[in-house]
Amino acid sequence: MSAHPDLSRRAFFMTLPAVTAGLAVPAMAAEPAGPHWAMLVDTRRCIACQACTIGCAMENASPEGRFRTVVATYAVTTETGQAGLAVVPRLCNHCEQPPCIPVCPVGATFKRKDGIVVVDGERCVGCAYCVQACPYDARFINHRTGKADKCTFCSHRVEAGLLPACVETCVGGARIFGDINNPDSEISRQLKAAEGKTRVLKPEAGTKPRVYYIGLEEQLSGRVDGASAANMMWQPGHQGA
Amino acid sequence: MNTTVEVLGFASELSWQLWAVQYFFLIGISTAAFFLSLPGMVWRLPQWRGVSRRALLVALVCGLTAPVALLADLHQPGRFLNFYLHSNFGSWMAWGAYFIPLYLLGLLLYAWLSLRPLMAALAERGERPAAFYRTLAYGGHDNIGAIRAAAIVAALGAVLVLLYTGMETMVVRARPLWHTPLLPVLLAVTAFAGGLGMTGLFEALAGKTRSAPLLNRWQELSQWASLATLSAWTVLVLTGSSAAANETLGAMRGSSGWLLTIAALFATTVLALWLSRTRRDALIAPALLALLGAWLVRWVIFLGGQSIPKLGATSHAYFLSLTADNLLSIMGTAGLCLALYIALTSLVPWDDPAEARGDQS
Repeated sequence: MSAHPDLSRRAFFMTLPAVTAGLAVPAMAAEPAGPHWAMLVDTRRCIACQACTIGCAMENASPEGRFRTVVATYAVTTETGQAGLAVVPRLCNHCEQPPCIPVCPVGATFKRKDGIVVVDGERCVGCAYCVQACPYDARFINHRTGKADKCTFCSHRVEAGLLPACVETCVGGARIFGDINNPDSEISRQLKAAEGKTRVLKPEAGTKPRVYYIGLEEQLSGRVDGASAANMMWQPGHQGA
Repeated sequence: MNTTVEVLGFASELSWQLWAVQYFFLIGISTAAFFLSLPGMVWRLPQWRGVSRRALLVALVCGLTAPVALLADLHQPGRFLNFYLHSNFGSWMAWGAYFIPLYLLGLLLYAWLSLRPLMAALAERGERPAAFYRTLAYGGHDNIGAIRAAAIVAALGAVLVLLYTGMETMVVRARPLWHTPLLPVLLAVTAFAGGLGMTGLFEALAGKTRSAPLLNRWQELSQWASLATLSAWTVLVLTGSSAAANETLGAMRGSSGWLLTIAALFATTVLALWLSRTRRDALIAPALLALLGAWLVRWVIFLGGQSIPKLGATSHAYFLSLTADNLLSIMGTAGLCLALYIALTSLVPWDDPAEARGDQS
């Protein structure tokens, strides 16, 4: 037995944490970034059938008269007198700089690592400050729960390996959902192919939306200067009955 | 694209409705009335003594009612606990949860310290319930140092409340009618007009018309300030070069409803200014007009601001329908104000003792 048997053992144990940390750091750095979910809406393929609106309402049990996604539909006439239909499927844009998050007084709304903006229903107080702050009118107060409600990209379905309900039900295949961190995903390939031709809603808001559009007219990407058929129509609760 | 008609649009329901208007109206009036109480209660200016005590009553009645309107808007009042359990200090609204109690606790302490000598005098005279007055007076010492300290706490709270209510709406970029640096100023200035109006109304209810010239002098100044800020705000919102201003202008252009609303807003302010300037002895009419003006500003800003569409062309019109929730917000806040007014005027002396003795003799 050596006279100093512990020296080498002590040295070994002393260097062990450094070795472990040294091994762990590159392992952590090499860890894949994980998915970052986004949606691409090809308005040229949308026929305004509202199947996505209904599919979402059924999937997420939206309260009556409130929708997490809708397809706004416009009758447009060009300067040459040509008439046509234009559509803007709308949903939460799951922005990179979401204005709804900093205003929440209780931190109930947050952006997950995978890019999905969600609301913690346990914490939400229903103050509707996030509803005011959202530039896309994508949030509402659910009258059944008294809390903020919005599109979650059907996170419960995505976690189960399924597509969001609106994507699943779209008859024209206008909604493409996927991981923009994966260059081989359908959405990444389509975004690359349409580079320079995609738009987002209200780019001037500086929110960096993660819902992209192909074929969206600039005039329809924000507040629209035009008449609204809804403003001319009878509305329940406003004029009796 | 030449013309566009939105054949299928989706207008969202306004999420801040009457409860919010009532809250901003009442808390603004309360803070303004608190500041009106200072000349008589803290600086002891003789001509202000009666008015300041009445202003303190206004500050208490409106200040205690306002947070109830706020709690009611949370759909489940117990949720307010989350404001303290999970505060997000990046949000102005979260700060409000701390500023409101700071203001109200300072106000209650200030009111108690200021009214102690009066209650002790009442107990000494054997006014019923003397034991109640004796207990509440807690010696009845007129401690000006303590009153000043409490007034500083309440003043700090009042300034912070005015600041946060203005800022929490101003920071909302998505609402072009709110997103202007003049909004906090406009809310504060019209709150002062409303505070003066409510103090005048309370004076009239108590039959104290001698304060009319003093109140009207200040009301005139306040209405001039309101008119100037309102004009600047309108000009900034409608003619500014920002994208928000252009958006607002686009939404309001050609809308007779908007034109009428803005005309009503200016007409109320001008009429209140004219009345307070020409009828120095009138108390009720300028007071009611000032209150109407302060309320209209909040109505237009909050409900009108939300009616402008963020996307698409469908405006989110709001009609005051007599639903249970709306009735509750109107009757509930008015009823609570009335109940507090009755309770406070029944139990606490609000008139100067010398003046009260003069009235009795």
